[in-house]
Amino acid sequence: MTRDEVIAVIKRNILDNLEDLDEGSIDPEKSMKDLGANSLDIIEVVSCSMRELNIKIPRTELADVKTIGQLADKFMEQIGK
Amino acid sequence: MEDALKYSLADFFLTDSKNVLEPPADFEEWMREPSVKVGFSFYEQKLLAAPRSSTEILSNVDGQRRRVINLMSYNYLGLSTHPEVIEAAIEGLKKYGLGASGAPLLSGTYDLHVEFARRLAEFKGKEDCILFSSGLGGNLGAIQGLLRKGDALIMDEKCHKSLVDGGTLAGAKMFLFRHNDAAHLDELLAKNAGKRILVVVEGVYSMDGDLAKLPEIVAVCERYPDAAIYIDEAHSSLMFGKTGRGVAEHFNLEDKIGISFGTLSKSFGGVGGFICSNARIIRYLKGYSSPFHFSCSPSPVVVAGLMKALEVATRDSSLRDKLWANTKYFKEKLDTLRLDLGDTESQVIPIIIGASGEMLYEMAASMQTKGLFLQPVDFPAVPAESRRFRISMSAQLTKEEMDEALNIIEDVVAKGMRTAGLIGK
Repeated sequence: MTRDEVIAVIKRNILDNLEDLDEGSIDPEKSMKDLGANSLDIIEVVSCSMRELNIKIPRTELADVKTIGQLADKFMEQIGK
Repeated sequence: MEDALKYSLADFFLTDSKNVLEPPADFEEWMREPSVKVGFSFYEQKLLAAPRSSTEILSNVDGQRRRVINLMSYNYLGLSTHPEVIEAAIEGLKKYGLGASGAPLLSGTYDLHVEFARRLAEFKGKEDCILFSSGLGGNLGAIQGLLRKGDALIMDEKCHKSLVDGGTLAGAKMFLFRHNDAAHLDELLAKNAGKRILVVVEGVYSMDGDLAKLPEIVAVCERYPDAAIYIDEAHSSLMFGKTGRGVAEHFNLEDKIGISFGTLSKSFGGVGGFICSNARIIRYLKGYSSPFHFSCSPSPVVVAGLMKALEVATRDSSLRDKLWANTKYFKEKLDTLRLDLGDTESQVIPIIIGASGEMLYEMAASMQTKGLFLQPVDFPAVPAESRRFRISMSAQLTKEEMDEALNIIEDVVAKGMRTAGLIGK
């Protein structure tokens, strides 16, 4: 799976969980907070994306992730294992 | 399971099990890990006696019955075990029986409930009061009862789960502002201008012991005429302010608070929750708040005890004076050990250990076997990099008990952290 495909999964979950967004407005260099997500929304997006990608990363290891792109990179590390 | 200790309850919420009676397979695998079992063994340990400052537990650490100094219970003023409160509860039991046997609207409202609610409203300086059988039910029921889809619930990010769950049930859009950050609150208020808005803060934050920066928060809210303020005084009622009314009184801002919530399980020493506000909104809330409307009324035994607890705590300042004297003494001694107490300003004192879960549990076990009941608080209840112990100070503690507790904390926590190079000598 490519990084772009992983980003597409995250984007779809963002669109499912946040209101008033279109796909074009989701820049991987931005954080979900920039898009108006609160911490509960972020948990939902991250959990649903990991489930879809069939990976599991402890929440404690995601604390330093700031942007959507960095989240995709973390996911890629796990997918590569 | 690889790296079992890196996982927490935050990681098993979603499940792929086919049957609702089957927990997720990876959760079960995780729970079987010996290191995880050690962590969980600290929870639900049995207390064998009343929550006094010295009590007895059946330890899960080594299976022994043990006398312990108790720095855990929320019995901040000792009212749960106050002789006058116990006597009043016994009289309540004799007169009314064990339970209310009814929901408030039909047959669960007793003269006792009406009188206690009246006294609480008078105490908080509000027009009226609604009682709930639990504190969680009070917060959840107030938010669920007042907010609707399309409304904005703007909360401090450290607010309690009961408030978040209330927002979820209400269907309101939730926004969390950075802890005590009035500028971020201002941004969120501006973004939601024109909506019905409820801003929620806590008087004392339960994991850190710091206070709401109420003057700054109120100043921001005043620029938005339709933004109402809700304060959760669970850990501050009967303790803060000149007459014990809470943090809003402490800051002399009570007239700016639309809704004041309190629990009856902490300083009050019983169980339950209450909301004080204007009489019209309390009347409305009684019609729409499910934990009020569809739950049996609080036990008359507990309410009889609580009525006495309110009287004892407010007839003079002696109990809260003792609590603050104990808190000052204990904090000063902890400061000399150079421990990280965060930003505590209250009777809730964290000792922040850091990122190591192993060290947290080792210290907890060691303190317990030496006779101190001080439980570990782990992620996700607190951030993973600031795992901690959380002390609940009490007016009941004697100087001898505090000195013994401090000796154990020095011996286990301060020495352990020095050895690990986490604090200076």
